[in-house]
Amino acid sequence: MVSLKMHNVNKAYGKIHAVKDLNLAIQQGDIFGLLGPNGAGKTTAIRMIMDILRPDSGYIEIFGKPNSATLRDEIGYLPEERGLYKKMNVFDVISFFAEIKSVPQKEIPDRASNLLQKLDLLDWRDKKVEELSRGMQQKLQFICTVIHEPKLIILDEPFTGLDPVNTRILKDMMLDMKAKGTTIIFSTHLMEQVEKLCESICLINRGESILRGKVSDIKTTFGKNRVRMSYEGKADFLTDPSYIASYDDYGQYVEIQLAEGVSSQELLKNAMQKVAVQHFEIADPSLNEIFISTVKSEGNNHA
Amino acid sequence: MHKTWAIIKREYLERVNTKGFIISTLVVPFVLIALVMAPALLLRTNLDNQRHIAIIDLTDRLAKPVTEGLQASYKTSKGEPIYNVKTLNVTRENIKMAKSELNQKIYEGVFDALLVFPADIFQTNNFELYAKNVSNIERNSTLERTVTNTVRRLRMQENGFDASLIEQINKRVQATTYKVKSQGSTKESGQLSFLISYIMVFLLYMALIFYGMFVMRGVIEDKSSRVVEMITSSVSPSQLMTGKVLGIGASGLTQFVIWILIAVFLSTFGLTAVQIFNPSIQNLPLPDISIWVYVAFVVYFLLGYFLYATLYAAVGSMVSQESDAQNLQWPVLMFIILAFLFMFAVINNPDSTLSVALSLIPFFTPILMFLRISMEAAPLWQIGLSIAIVLLTNWLFLWISGRIYRIGILMYGKRASLPEALKWIKS
Repeated sequence: MVSLKMHNVNKAYGKIHAVKDLNLAIQQGDIFGLLGPNGAGKTTAIRMIMDILRPDSGYIEIFGKPNSATLRDEIGYLPEERGLYKKMNVFDVISFFAEIKSVPQKEIPDRASNLLQKLDLLDWRDKKVEELSRGMQQKLQFICTVIHEPKLIILDEPFTGLDPVNTRILKDMMLDMKAKGTTIIFSTHLMEQVEKLCESICLINRGESILRGKVSDIKTTFGKNRVRMSYEGKADFLTDPSYIASYDDYGQYVEIQLAEGVSSQELLKNAMQKVAVQHFEIADPSLNEIFISTVKSEGNNHA
Repeated sequence: MHKTWAIIKREYLERVNTKGFIISTLVVPFVLIALVMAPALLLRTNLDNQRHIAIIDLTDRLAKPVTEGLQASYKTSKGEPIYNVKTLNVTRENIKMAKSELNQKIYEGVFDALLVFPADIFQTNNFELYAKNVSNIERNSTLERTVTNTVRRLRMQENGFDASLIEQINKRVQATTYKVKSQGSTKESGQLSFLISYIMVFLLYMALIFYGMFVMRGVIEDKSSRVVEMITSSVSPSQLMTGKVLGIGASGLTQFVIWILIAVFLSTFGLTAVQIFNPSIQNLPLPDISIWVYVAFVVYFLLGYFLYATLYAAVGSMVSQESDAQNLQWPVLMFIILAFLFMFAVINNPDSTLSVALSLIPFFTPILMFLRISMEAAPLWQIGLSIAIVLLTNWLFLWISGRIYRIGILMYGKRASLPEALKWIKS
């Protein structure tokens, strides 16, 4: 079943075409990566899904129904910009967000305690929001996003500012919800997480979707011409364009895209003469590489 | 509807639970009570302490009438004389010694004051007053007045005038003011009812500004804390604005209802309460305010509040920080201030054509029409018309502000200009 469908959606602010002919179809129970550089039109797309903005043309269907304000109670949205009422106490904030999502009053305390427990915030239930650390506020905001048990959740950069422990708790909760059939739209710049969590992605740039599909399919199309290498020494051979198309050097680790027709063995031979190779791997391109190279080539086309 | 209700509830509780709200709600009536009660209670403390006065009389004829005058005119709340006067038998020869002896007694507190009437008091018009504290104006003037009256009366008698007749002739004439009401005439102090009108209009003026600014600040806080993004994913901007305006308005209403209840309680039971402390007090300077003035106060507060709060909400939505709002809120604030300035013209002549016209301009109606009602200068048809005009304007502004707000709350970065806001209204 398709949870969210966007068909030829357009939205412009004056001369700026924020979203151009956007087409999306997200299956129920998927974790879907909505990616794109800053200012690509992600927030506009999300606001149209939330029915905060209306598309100029095209249509959006949610759970098979045309989008309308009445569907808001089925959707949860964690915006990238964090904000809660600082003077209220933790439980009152949760209760308020539950009420404006039409959760029955008598169910609120149990649901709140349950989620506070899961996110390790139960001791802070009666504290003021402003007393919480940033990471805790973020977890609280996540609770406010899912307190009404939405069928579709939009998470915009949910992991920024979280330590590894909390990142893991949040990730496990996302997988839990996915297992229960919740659809999650996950918008982020952190490609590693997208790679691990998302089945499908859509990459938007300048309002247009430039890459769309299953993560595994996308990787296959980009081919197995990537090399990852750990080394010691001075890797000046990287700048030779005759067999290296592009590279991303970290000093002791480098990701390399080979030029067409060059075998990885050739690179290894070359590298061993210059540096001490400690790890050498032939791999799929990472989403990070795909993201950067796609956005870059798009930029070149426009320039 | 329940979503708007949740927002109303949150806004209301957030305002009512602040120290500022509780303090201002309690301080205003406390000042009112103090204004009414204090004179009565202060009087009591002054009147109930007996004063011990010693007199040295070298004329031999002043001591007795002065004593009688003091004891007849000044009584404690229990009806006993305040002044306990002792006349000492002193002659010109031993006066020096007597004075130093009495100084000692005054210092020890046996006497509060010593009056020395010299033999030539009728020529010099001067007597001596010794006391530990000589700056007690109330006591000094009481003693001076009594001695002066006694000396005058004696002079009149010596010159063959009938003192009581002259007193009769010299009596002051006072005006009692009557305010004409449709039900007939009621006695009332003119000065006081003017003061009460003024205080109520001033409260209204402050309330419109403060509660309007609360709305603006609330909108800006929602924006700057980014909480608005979360909320607009659950409720529509118009629900959010309505909830905010109603919630903050309800907190203002709460404050006024508390004040009015205290005022009504005070004018009903204030006298009884004061009499517990001081039974001799027969009346208090309590204003006789018709219940309809209180009703008008609440009605015009609400009308004015909705008028200005929706405008303030629009202004708040156009900026990202409070400091940016300074210039934009001026047009709104100016109308409230103008209304307050026109108040003086209306007070001078509440029935003039100018007053009627001003009080029917929707921006000024809340303050000026209420003022005219409190002065009982507004006929019913004008009251009805003014309410209709303001309601119509409110409806128009709610629509305009709603359109600005809807777009404004999701805009970040630079302040929106008025032409931009006009574009939002049209879009």
